[in-house]
Amino acid sequence: MWRDGVLVAGKDLRIELRSRVVLHQVVPVAVLMLVLFAFALGPATAPMVAAAPGLFWVAVLFTGVLAVQRSAALEGGDGGRDGLRLSGLDPAGVFLGKAAAVAVQLLVLEAVLSAGVVLFYGAHVRSPGALVVASVTGTAGLAAAGTLYGALAAGLRVRETLLPLLFLPVAAPVLVAGTKVWQSALGAAGAGSGDPWLRLLVVFAVVYLAVGVVIFGPLQEAP
Amino acid sequence: MASPPPAWSRRRAVIVHVLGAASVLAVAITVWLGLWVTPPDQHLRDEVRLVYVHPPIAWVALYLAFGLGALSSVLWLWTRTRSAAWDRLAAASMEVGTVFTALTLVTGSIWGRATWGVWWAWDARLTSTALLLVLQLGYLAVRRVPSDRDARARRSAVVALVAAVDVPIVHFSVDWWTTLHQGGTVTNPNLSPTIHGSMAWTLLLGFVAFTLLFAWLLVVRYRLVTLAEWREDTELAEALHERWAEGGPVAERRAAVPTATTATAAPGALAGARPAGPPAGS
Amino acid sequence: MGYVDAGYAVALSVLAGYGVVLWRRRRRLEAIRAKLAARRSP
Repeated sequence: MWRDGVLVAGKDLRIELRSRVVLHQVVPVAVLMLVLFAFALGPATAPMVAAAPGLFWVAVLFTGVLAVQRSAALEGGDGGRDGLRLSGLDPAGVFLGKAAAVAVQLLVLEAVLSAGVVLFYGAHVRSPGALVVASVTGTAGLAAAGTLYGALAAGLRVRETLLPLLFLPVAAPVLVAGTKVWQSALGAAGAGSGDPWLRLLVVFAVVYLAVGVVIFGPLQEAP
Repeated sequence: MASPPPAWSRRRAVIVHVLGAASVLAVAITVWLGLWVTPPDQHLRDEVRLVYVHPPIAWVALYLAFGLGALSSVLWLWTRTRSAAWDRLAAASMEVGTVFTALTLVTGSIWGRATWGVWWAWDARLTSTALLLVLQLGYLAVRRVPSDRDARARRSAVVALVAAVDVPIVHFSVDWWTTLHQGGTVTNPNLSPTIHGSMAWTLLLGFVAFTLLFAWLLVVRYRLVTLAEWREDTELAEALHERWAEGGPVAERRAAVPTATTATAAPGALAGARPAGPPAGS
Repeated sequence: MGYVDAGYAVALSVLAGYGVVLWRRRRRLEAIRAKLAARRSP
């Protein structure tokens, strides 16, 4: 399973490296979102700084949808999905591989977004460690849920509208928890400890990775 | 042509009618008791009367309908227990459940307006229920996507499973989210008044009544799913058959022979639908 | 009492309306079913 996962992750990431779709299209959308938020809240920086933790995660969620769409579309044409299924690769491994590739891309997006939030909104980071842990665990959960739904909606003509509808409510706890961690890491007033929220992020990631590993194969069974 | 599903047996039809009548009666009695017979609460005064309606509906929506939908989805997914009946049950339960969830939000909002003065507050229960509604709408959206029955069942079941896994997580996170919030007395009102005496009996009846109502709606909806699936399978074959029959004797003979066009199912019909055979007795 | 009445009214009318819609659709399909079942039996 792990070997197949590495194989598939490598394939997806190599495609991204060559086509650079996420880099050239999704990253700019992320930056654009920060600018749009500024238009919505500014020009005074106080509301932006106060909202910065939440805005970061909202941007992550929405660009995450785009990244998952892209990942699902990679197998789109000419029976790529059938090819993957018939190739004899362990479906759990395929799932982990695709999720890992999405996670890597999401982490890149989050790095850009964090830099953007600090730069544009003047946020001051007190404990970067917590932010990194939150990002990694939150991303793992998002990538897992997203990859599962991406495969579910793959090949459907309504995929573009269906995927956000399915993915975003499931991703909501990550938004809640991630925002809380960021709030405490940025030392916002009355934020409380971020620890229980980090634990929630870990639980979310573990649960959805487990669900994906178990259900990805049965999901792909030929009709 | 697929044969029509069997009609309800005499006994089953009677049971369904009795169930319907019983649920209507139970709801009516609950309303009567709730609105007129039971006393107003000490603190909440007359506003308490919504306790006979909102919590039962909420319970049905989350635990009964959604729980049943998730359970039957899992039973379908597990190959050892797989059966088309589970898929139909999940579809029926989730749809009826969505109606109940929406009503939970509406009655909760009205109750909030009555007791807190605001139409909406980000309290744990309302927020979790709102998210549940979106999850259920997603399920319904997935069921609408035209595809063959097996793929649709598979997709819906996965959505139901993921949603079911998400609900407790959402519940916990939203709960912490609201309780760790400093201040905001509006957000945690006492929606659990002390229940005693006639109020307790009425509340119990309320739960029973709405459960019966759900059961009746579920049975009817399930039957509708069965009939609708049968119609899906036969509609095209039947339409073609009737078209040819219009043409007179020659056309009728042609209609009697399975042709390539009847063998290829329309996009929405079940893959492998059988070609229209010769009409019975003609 | 206004809000309480509204709450009851909304809940009951929506459920009643939904029930009526389902029942009617079921009756219509059952009629079609009965017709086709009769046609098939010799």
